[in-house]
Amino acid sequence: MYTEKQVWDPLTRVCHILLILTVVGGWLIGEFRTFSIMQWHFYCGYATGGLVLFRIIRGFSGPTEIRFSSLLHSPHNILRYAATLTNKQPSGTPGHNPLGSLFILLIVAALAGQVVTGLFSKDDALFFSGPLASFVSESTVLSVTSLHNLNSTVILVLVGVHVTAILFYWVWKKENLIKPMITGKKK
Amino acid sequence: MFNNPRRFGLILSLLAASVIAVPSYAADDDAIGKAIKGRQAGFQLYSFYAGQLFAMAKGEMDYNSELAATLASNLSSVANLNNGMMWLPKSDNVARAGDTRAKPEIWASDSDIGAKAAAMKDASAALASVAGEGLDALRSKIGDVGKSCKGCHDNFRAKDF
Repeated sequence: MYTEKQVWDPLTRVCHILLILTVVGGWLIGEFRTFSIMQWHFYCGYATGGLVLFRIIRGFSGPTEIRFSSLLHSPHNILRYAATLTNKQPSGTPGHNPLGSLFILLIVAALAGQVVTGLFSKDDALFFSGPLASFVSESTVLSVTSLHNLNSTVILVLVGVHVTAILFYWVWKKENLIKPMITGKKK
Repeated sequence: MFNNPRRFGLILSLLAASVIAVPSYAADDDAIGKAIKGRQAGFQLYSFYAGQLFAMAKGEMDYNSELAATLASNLSSVANLNNGMMWLPKSDNVARAGDTRAKPEIWASDSDIGAKAAAMKDASAALASVAGEGLDALRSKIGDVGKSCKGCHDNFRAKDF
């Protein structure tokens, strides 16, 4: 018999599900924006901002598995783990493995960047402006809007890598990473 | 005419002045730069009229039927101006980097810029026909105006200079 132990606390799991909704929703609305739905892009952005801020706070004070101190691995360790990636066996890491840890840092940074740039962005086709766009110069707004656009592609790629990795672990390594994110328990 | 030395001197100095003045005139005769400025003035007008209409639709500005009707009518008028002469060759953001965000795609042979301009005319005319009839009427048509703006902004305008 395997013993199941708790790896993800309830708050982490709830926040993760909410983040899927706000990021996917925000991306879809941003990409296919119209005048009547654009306001919801802002709501998704604010909600994402709240979740990211909460994640950063919990990175210092939350459960051990999700603390930034557990996520910082030396390049040597990350490469050593990457070398074992094709082994047809589960990673055996209770929380995030070294590569997964790196991913968390990247996605949190990318999402934080997206929320902050969104606050200063402007869409002058639908005449929507981020709440802080009027406090900076027109040329800054243009550059930041450009970054906001570019970074949405970065996030799309990161999410793609994330989903691909989960499928890879499932199919190749026979390790189900989805169930623990729902029930919190891992064999 | 030339036997008066003072008049001769005056003519000579006028000639000299015109020779000196010619290069500065040539530098100012930047047809492409002027066309770009003309285009941008047109977009400033779009932005001024549409900006207030969108603000009313969003509830950020009080709806005023008379103002809304005038703004929408003006928007439609500007959209109907034939400003084709302002879209000179070599006035894109590659040839004139820093001056314009108009992408070379506008001038490509498969460009559908004409259809996009027609969509803008249709959408602004539809808005102009109802903008004075209440906030709900304004809201019912403004989405298509935004869509027509976006049609060009997405494909034909660079995000930054």
